[in-house]
Amino acid sequence: MERKIWLIFVMAFLGACDMIEYHPYDVRIHGETDMNGKNIPRIEAACAGKDTVRFALMGDTQRFYDETEDFVTHLNGRNDVDFVIHGGDVSDFGLTKEFEWVRDIMNKLDVPYVTLLGNHDVLGNGLDAFEEVFGAVNFDFMAGKNRFICLNTNALEFDYSHPIPDFKYVYSLLADSVTEVSRTVPVMHVAPGDIEFNNNVSLVFHELLKRFPGMEFCLHAHDHKLKEDDLFDDGIMYYGCSYMKDRNYLLFTLTPDWYGYEVVYY
Amino acid sequence: MKWFIINVICGACLLLAGMTARAEGVDSVRTQRKAERYERRVAYFEKRREKYQRGWERLIPKYQIVQFAGSIGAVSVGTGWDYGKKGQWETDFLLGYLPRFSSNEGKVTLTLRENYIPWRVKLGGCWSYRPFSVSLGMNTVLDDEFWVKEPERYPAPYYKFSTRVRFLLFVGQRFAVDLGENHWCKRISFYYEVGTCDLYLISAFSNKWLRPNDILSLSFGVKFQIL
Repeated sequence: MERKIWLIFVMAFLGACDMIEYHPYDVRIHGETDMNGKNIPRIEAACAGKDTVRFALMGDTQRFYDETEDFVTHLNGRNDVDFVIHGGDVSDFGLTKEFEWVRDIMNKLDVPYVTLLGNHDVLGNGLDAFEEVFGAVNFDFMAGKNRFICLNTNALEFDYSHPIPDFKYVYSLLADSVTEVSRTVPVMHVAPGDIEFNNNVSLVFHELLKRFPGMEFCLHAHDHKLKEDDLFDDGIMYYGCSYMKDRNYLLFTLTPDWYGYEVVYY
Repeated sequence: MKWFIINVICGACLLLAGMTARAEGVDSVRTQRKAERYERRVAYFEKRREKYQRGWERLIPKYQIVQFAGSIGAVSVGTGWDYGKKGQWETDFLLGYLPRFSSNEGKVTLTLRENYIPWRVKLGGCWSYRPFSVSLGMNTVLDDEFWVKEPERYPAPYYKFSTRVRFLLFVGQRFAVDLGENHWCKRISFYYEVGTCDLYLISAFSNKWLRPNDILSLSFGVKFQIL
């Protein structure tokens, strides 16, 4: 009996420790950090030597934890996807715990995933939490012979005082020629033309992306609806996924000489 | 004729003497009245000063608080006033310190909150127990990255909430020990509270995935009742 009481006390104490919060914006991260840094080697290893690569593009998880969990359950039920791209807006308010909650849900995926920075993720000191939990705001990785370049395009959040999109970074990627790249896929949270984007450089940005080997299309999130636009009338498509509330995602298939996508509802 | 002159002089002397005597009497009454008036004025102003002092004295905080956690900083120190028939109402003002952790700098927060502690149960000796307290508070982070109103760069309304001001709702319990008047503080209360903030409530409202543990925050504190 006495042992039982002690056990209850210990459990209550552990539960209480879990509830110690210094501030909703304290950026005191519990659990795993640098998720992109951990997942990118997994993606590169899983896709190495593969001709056909298949990935899911989703985003704007925001306050839709139930829907995100359903997405993870659904995706774990199929075994033809190599990895997942979260297109940004992990959080709704930039609260520290929001990043942990979405990380904990997404970590249940059987396949690796990468996460981009969304405009909501910058609110308060969300950027610090994002960088700690997921990693750098600009990054790239290889999936077979496809190079994914993931860019922060949320210029409005930084009041145009930071170089967004970071051309220095894009040029460094361009210079860093990886010979085995046969296709480049730029991914961003906000597409050119949106009020969040630095539209003074939309065309320059687009023209620069076109200089990457095999650049056929771009991916984005943010709009909370399915998008498919030839933004610059040059045949380069910008595909946007919807938000989690709509319970769908874009499933892309890349082969050496073809790409295609479908909208999957769950 | 001589008589007449003598009479006039005597009369004049008498009259003068009489008048002087009368004047002396009037003067002493006047002085007394003046003194009385003066005293009254002094007393009146004394009273006014006292009233003025009492008015400001009411603003002297009645107690000091030290709190750990509770979504307003790692450690917060504060002060406040209690009022109501049984001191069941309290207004606290706290200054919290939030260490840097993974952000760019440490921060200071301010909290203003109103507590309601309706019941008091006397335990043995000098101990007492307050089984229920509820507090409604507002916390603000003193940091440039946080705003009350969206900065002008946004096409209004863009985000429709403030990152700077959080509304807090906590419930808790207290134990107090009375030390009596011959101590530096009359009473020491130990309290704990469990609560949440507005944005967590909004998040939990539409999600089954979030458990109470995810959104609840715990705090511990000590209150030193001085006045």
